[in-house]
Amino acid sequence: MGFFGGLEGDKYDRQYSDGYLAKRMWDYASKFGRNVGAIVVAVVILSIVVSLRPILISLGIDALESDQNFVILILGGLFLSAVFEYGANWVRRRLLTKVIGSMVAMLRNDSFTAAVGRDLAFYDRNKTGKIVSRITSDTQEFGDVLLFTSDVVSQIISIFFLLAILLERSVFLTMLLIGTIPIYAVAALGFRALARRVTRQGSRAMAVVNDQIQESVTGISVAKNFRREAMIYDEFTEVNLLSYNTNIKRSMVIASIIPAMNVLSGFSIAIILYFGASSVVEGVITAGTWYLFIQGVDRFLFPIINLVSFWSQFQQGLASAERVFALIDAENNLKQIDDKSGSDIKGHIEFKNVSFAYEDEQWVMQDFDLDIKEGESIAFVGHTGAGKSTVAKLVTRFYEFQKGDILIDGQDIRTFNLQSYRARLGIVPQAPFLFSGTIRENIRYARPDVLDAEIEELANSVGGGEWLETLPDGLDSDVGERGARLSMGQRQLVSLLRVMIQKPAIFILDEATASIDPFTEMQIQEAIDLLLAQSTSILIAHRLSTVRSADRIIVLKEGAIIEQGSHESLMEQNGHYAELYNTYFRHQSLSYVENARDILKDDAPEQIAGD
Amino acid sequence: MSAEFIASNTYDSDHSSPVRFIWSHVRRHWIFIITLLVGAASNAALASVVFIFVGWSFDKLDAFQRGLDVTGEEALSFTLLMVGAVIGSQALRAVLQFMRNFSAEIFSQRLERDVRDELYGSLLGKGMDFHDMQPVGDIMARVTNDVREVNFMFNPGFNLIVGSSFFLIMPLFVAPIIHPQLILVPVVFVILHLIVQVRLINSVHPIAQKVRGSFGTMNSRLAEALEGLQVVKGTAQEENEAKYFQSLADTVRDYYIEQGEIEARYLSTLLWGLAFMAALMHAMFLYNQGAIAIGDVVAFIGQMYMFGFPVFASLFSLSRIASGFAGAKRILELIVAETNLDQNTAGHEGKLEGEIVFDNVTFGYQERPVLKNISFTVKPGQTVAIVGQTGAGKSTITKLINRTYDTKEGRVLVDGVDVREWKLESLRSQIGNIEQDIFLFSRTIAENISFADDHATREQVIDAAQKAQAHDFIMSFPEGYETVIGQRGVTLSGGQRQRLALARAFESDPPILILDDSTSAIDSATEDEIQKAIWTAAEGRTTLLITHRLSQIRWADHIVVIKNGTVAAQGSHEELLESSEAYRRIFARYDEPSESTHAVETE
Repeated sequence: MGFFGGLEGDKYDRQYSDGYLAKRMWDYASKFGRNVGAIVVAVVILSIVVSLRPILISLGIDALESDQNFVILILGGLFLSAVFEYGANWVRRRLLTKVIGSMVAMLRNDSFTAAVGRDLAFYDRNKTGKIVSRITSDTQEFGDVLLFTSDVVSQIISIFFLLAILLERSVFLTMLLIGTIPIYAVAALGFRALARRVTRQGSRAMAVVNDQIQESVTGISVAKNFRREAMIYDEFTEVNLLSYNTNIKRSMVIASIIPAMNVLSGFSIAIILYFGASSVVEGVITAGTWYLFIQGVDRFLFPIINLVSFWSQFQQGLASAERVFALIDAENNLKQIDDKSGSDIKGHIEFKNVSFAYEDEQWVMQDFDLDIKEGESIAFVGHTGAGKSTVAKLVTRFYEFQKGDILIDGQDIRTFNLQSYRARLGIVPQAPFLFSGTIRENIRYARPDVLDAEIEELANSVGGGEWLETLPDGLDSDVGERGARLSMGQRQLVSLLRVMIQKPAIFILDEATASIDPFTEMQIQEAIDLLLAQSTSILIAHRLSTVRSADRIIVLKEGAIIEQGSHESLMEQNGHYAELYNTYFRHQSLSYVENARDILKDDAPEQIAGD
Repeated sequence: MSAEFIASNTYDSDHSSPVRFIWSHVRRHWIFIITLLVGAASNAALASVVFIFVGWSFDKLDAFQRGLDVTGEEALSFTLLMVGAVIGSQALRAVLQFMRNFSAEIFSQRLERDVRDELYGSLLGKGMDFHDMQPVGDIMARVTNDVREVNFMFNPGFNLIVGSSFFLIMPLFVAPIIHPQLILVPVVFVILHLIVQVRLINSVHPIAQKVRGSFGTMNSRLAEALEGLQVVKGTAQEENEAKYFQSLADTVRDYYIEQGEIEARYLSTLLWGLAFMAALMHAMFLYNQGAIAIGDVVAFIGQMYMFGFPVFASLFSLSRIASGFAGAKRILELIVAETNLDQNTAGHEGKLEGEIVFDNVTFGYQERPVLKNISFTVKPGQTVAIVGQTGAGKSTITKLINRTYDTKEGRVLVDGVDVREWKLESLRSQIGNIEQDIFLFSRTIAENISFADDHATREQVIDAAQKAQAHDFIMSFPEGYETVIGQRGVTLSGGQRQRLALARAFESDPPILILDDSTSAIDSATEDEIQKAIWTAAEGRTTLLITHRLSQIRWADHIVVIKNGTVAAQGSHEELLESSEAYRRIFARYDEPSESTHAVETE
């Protein structure tokens, strides 16, 4: 946890060999074969042309005294090198962004399709935030590394080209130049380690500061209610100052990197300057060659520093690619054995000897039998962890069961085409989830082809459309991200309407526990009643009124049915259901409401006298 | 400017435009600007001087090569002198460069600190009308990221621009020293380069924003689709989602490629390459005239290398400056946002009795009225329940009492005095407000309860907690009242948070308590505790309840039913059962099986 939270691996992560990764990447890149070829050609031309310039200049200076015609030739060469450099760079850059942009988009699509295809069990183990970052950030980082790699490759080629020419001019000076490389490398590595350390400290401090800022910003209203603005302001400035001080420490290191590199480069120039000059005096090389070596110092230094940081970045890029491919390759537990259309199922559900566990052998449900008739509505009640939602999880095929059979209209649930089967289910999750867009778009979500008129009729059929009154644009009101602009009750209503428009054969309601104003709740209840009337219903109930509206109440304990019947008959039995009633539903009864004032005042006994 | 709070140690900054705003902060740190400029100028000068030393050395060697009156020894010892000069100048350069970089760092960090302080202080000064309308996420983004962008705008942004500008300027001075005519090529290059920059920023900036914008859209839809995956799968919409995501990813790709194409066309690289040719050509011309020596040619060509830094640094630094500027604009938007209320320090002051009268009140946040002709009266000590659908305007009513907002028409009277005539401090300090989203600070429980009063004794804190039915669960934590809650501590349930908020209200003991209560209790025992706490809180003070709890509504002294911004009905429970159809329905439905024909009641 904590600072290293993001660094841990996930269960589905795999180790791929570098060769395999390269092959996978090539599968994507090869779709742009011609462009990749053109990029390679452009990179080679670019590196040669770039390393040519100092050579041309030194030749030109040498020739100034001797051969003026040759200098004109050199001028032509410089002109061509400028044009070629620009042209090659243009081709490289342009095609590279095209290839990388397209590859990243393809990777994103593939990983998104994979993510959407994963079981819900997969999301129980893995946070969506981390998966999101694989699909957007890791793919991006991979693309950035490709871009960076092409820069480095081009620099390496030009180093080798330059090196060949320098060697030909003077082996001694070239060796001298190469001899200084390790100094840069060590210095650059040292700085990198140092910078990484201070940066990590900096980002830790920043995380603390961001937390505090978040808290102080969110707490403004409380501070104002209690008139404590001055205190909260002082606290804020203190934290802000802490952040400043940490950043300044970090700056010391960061600010000294380039100056240090410049000092080293000064030494290199000085060494070449002196020993080059003595070679000139000895007549080994010309003054122009000597000048070429001096120009070469800078040309060497920059790529070397780049290379040092390149390797770790390259590794990070590979790791990013590995994470993306691991997501694409993750496997589902859920297996369908046939592809039968489920589009005309009626809703008769049978559980025969079904056993289910999330993790190996830790049974949530064992040898479970249940027959839900077509059109019947069943409410499941029980303590937390009793298995109220298990039946719904298996009927929706969100989770795979291990033993027994589940039959829908007498057919094995595993033989259906999942898409067509699920299209016949109407599922209302406990936390109603809406997508950004209008209410109309959300109601239409499951059936994109539905007519506006049908949506309007449906929306008005619930509570006479009263719930729409308070919305600024009625059905066309924007619901905000995840439905944030609607109240919890309105979200539940929209979520119910989304299901109603499907006319599902099987209605599955995981009832919300959030409290809702009585007026909206009344309308939600109406919508639920409409659905109960037309579908087989599985209710994971938290409200007394929902429990009582079911045809049959099933009381669960440790994954097994221990009682069933109607509310009245179960209350008469005075068994587990009666206990559940006193624990969860008592305060929802009218008698509680009527007697609350007397019962709860001051020192009245904790429990109200039974029913 | 009117404000509810003015930070004591802020200084005046100019709010008339983003540029002036930044400048008013910048000029406070003028000393660092000077060290930055000096560092940058001398850095460029010392980088440039290397080529002069090399040129001189070249002249000696050349003279030796051509057998003029220079011996090898002389040439070498002169070169040794130059070696010393190079090392010395580069060491000095490093020191100055460090000075430049470090100044830039201190400068930009201070800017970030000051701007953030100012922004935060100004946020505290805004009324709740402002904070209610401004999403916390948006404020967070501005206080953290946008302020940071302003930092980056100066470092690396301006630091690089200033630093690299001197690399553009320096050859303009050095070249004419070698020979006056040699200024020609650098001048032409600099002018053309600047033109390219202007055109570049005009074309890249809009497309870069599109890349960012489309990336954001893609990212948020992605997060939404995965969080709502149960819905996606449950409605068999995987294919449609994949198609939709693909269209978003393709948009990002298209903009990314477009940006790449613009950047690939960057003409300054071509100009730079051509500058070498032009420089050599001009130098040759002057050399042939005998106006300059060969070492001068070397020194002059060296100056061309200086241009490399600005050519490659500008794209990066310009985009930093553009986004920093945009950040400053967003920050300023918040700072200059006016709030409508003032403290009215000369207003009515006094111990509050607790009478509240709404006299034909009409109010709307924008044009659309949220409340229309609201009238009701609350006598001191009464408990009033305000009921209605979410969005009907219930919370807005409570916000008019403590002057979070002011009415458009009509009056709100507290103790017979229009709230606008009250001294704000006196009015607010006597109205307790428990909001729907209960906010507790990441501190100890005791500190949270005594938030309003540093001098509260432990006995007072415990007493408040007991009244709020919070003492028992507080003592169930190992650290008791010293338990730290929130992000770095214990997580509390909704019911526990509510009881702590009630304890906080008990501690300040206000004559009027406004309670927006939507906490749901999962089990009946917790429900008992919460209800007890609320009843105790309501005793002896005027209490306005916005609640979903039927038992609270049932037993309130007065109930106001709000429908679509108007008072649909008001009165006691019995009266409303008679007069309001809607009210009757919520009670009639409540305990009966809605679809069932069983009429057996268990009571």
